Amino acid sequence: MILQARNIQKSFTDGKESIPVLRGIDFGVERGEIVSLEGPSGSGKTTFLSILGCILTPSKGDVVIDGEPVGAKQLNAIRKRSLGFVFQQFNLFPSLTALENIEYALNVKGMRGREARTEAARVIEAVGLGDRQAFLPRDLSGGQKQRVAIARALAGNAPILLADEPTANLDSVVGTQVLEMFRALAKKENRALVIVTHDPKVRAVADRVVKIHDGRLSS
Amino acid sequence: MMVDLATKSLLHDKLRFLITVSGVAFAVTLVFVQVGLFLGLMDNASLTIEHLGADLWVTSHDTKNIDFAHTFPETHVKRVRAIPGVERADNLIVWFMNISLPNGAVEGTEVYALDDFARWNFPWHVTGGNLEDLRRGNYMFLDASAEKRYGGPFAIGEYREVLGRRLKIIGRSEEAKSFTTTPLTFLDFTLAQSLVPSELRGNTTYILVKLAPGANIEQVRGEIRRRLPYNDVFTGKEWASRSRRYWVDSTGLGLNMYLTVFLGCLVGIVVVAQTLYTSTMEHIKEFGTVKAIGGGNADIYAILGKQAAIAAVLGFALGSVMAFALRPLIYKIDLKLVIPPQLFAIVFAGSLVLCLAAAMISFRKVASIDPALVFRT
Repeated sequence: MILQARNIQKSFTDGKESIPVLRGIDFGVERGEIVSLEGPSGSGKTTFLSILGCILTPSKGDVVIDGEPVGAKQLNAIRKRSLGFVFQQFNLFPSLTALENIEYALNVKGMRGREARTEAARVIEAVGLGDRQAFLPRDLSGGQKQRVAIARALAGNAPILLADEPTANLDSVVGTQVLEMFRALAKKENRALVIVTHDPKVRAVADRVVKIHDGRLSS
Repeated sequence: MMVDLATKSLLHDKLRFLITVSGVAFAVTLVFVQVGLFLGLMDNASLTIEHLGADLWVTSHDTKNIDFAHTFPETHVKRVRAIPGVERADNLIVWFMNISLPNGAVEGTEVYALDDFARWNFPWHVTGGNLEDLRRGNYMFLDASAEKRYGGPFAIGEYREVLGRRLKIIGRSEEAKSFTTTPLTFLDFTLAQSLVPSELRGNTTYILVKLAPGANIEQVRGEIRRRLPYNDVFTGKEWASRSRRYWVDSTGLGLNMYLTVFLGCLVGIVVVAQTLYTSTMEHIKEFGTVKAIGGGNADIYAILGKQAAIAAVLGFALGSVMAFALRPLIYKIDLKLVIPPQLFAIVFAGSLVLCLAAAMISFRKVASIDPALVFRT
């Protein structure tokens, strides 16, 4: 299993009061598997995604990546090496072209120069935007922006891809196209993909659907 | 090579970029103009000392600067000339006198009187007349700066009354100025004494000393002090420095300069800090994304630091151009803007340091960014 969560608990404090958000979640995903993580607002799914993505640390429990438990001091390094993110709001750098957005992410991960440019060009071709690589985000449609964001997540061969509501800002047709493309690329490159969503379309591309409710998983 | 997110992001919002660079440029111009004017004034305060080139100056006790001279017996020069190691020693009078102009007005002039001007190559930039002729009668040299101050041109061959005595202008100089802005007149030593007999008969105000090659300046100075215990003896550099310091300390000029420089720096740092901080707040989600994709605080500090450095370099360049463009205008009002290479280097380093310091306010904000904000809408 490439990604595992063992008995994940997370509480936030509000003044003196501790509010439990996740109440002991066990979860796992294999390479090449696509999992849809669904739940109502406030169920804790984004918090869980943040913990899987090594952005937040759990109050209790472990995240295990490729068999190795993740320590609190390794979060940055794990994010660089093993994780790719796709956000609801795309989160592209507005001053960088589509290609540069991907190349910069590779730079942060430690890949530089021609190697980074070649890899960025490969993934932008893979998402079908080879002819838009010199465009700034403001000149791209919502669907194109999300494809660039997917290309950025794919760049650098991170084995785990995490997506937070990737179709929320796209219309139905474009959302479906993006999801199908995302699924095809994840399968082709044998990446694990976890998608947090409200969107029922995601079920059609997922191998497995996991529901979260009040901080617990339910089938 | 990395994608240059810092530069591209800075240039993306051109108006903000312009404001940032303008803020630095304004501060740089302010500092250059204020310090440059100050140095120009200080330059005038010791200009004649430097051009006379005396190794030692003998002054009356506790004289504050060259312009405000006091008298002592002219015969003291003989005691100085008798000291081994002294190649030459001459009396110099510096004295304020009144000069009557053709229009009937009376103005002030600062008189420099020597026995032999040519031997001291003073004034150093003669544009008409022969200095040797000064000792031949009631003659004067006048510096060209008098034309502006006295409200009209003068010509060699014309006459002016100095303290009621009619003197013929037989030459002119340029660049000879004093801190007081009073135009300089050059007279024969004896003639000057005769114009103010009550004060100057038998007296001088300074003794200029030129040392023989190889002479030990401290030994000669010590001997002069021994022989003239009621006078002071300065090296040329000390005397120039003392003259300049008098104006800095006694007029508030120094305080004024430091205050303006401080305010200039403050304006620069506030503008840069404010624009960088606003920019950081607006790009907070982008910085969160940098963290989410694996970047650390250091990556973001590098972005902000580079942006601050770019603002500093461009602001410095623009500010320097503006300061140099102001130079001719400042010369037109008879002031000097002196910008030596050291000042250039100091202002450049200061701009860089202050801009980086301004960026540090944003560093604190960045350090507290929660990368989980990338999941918020």
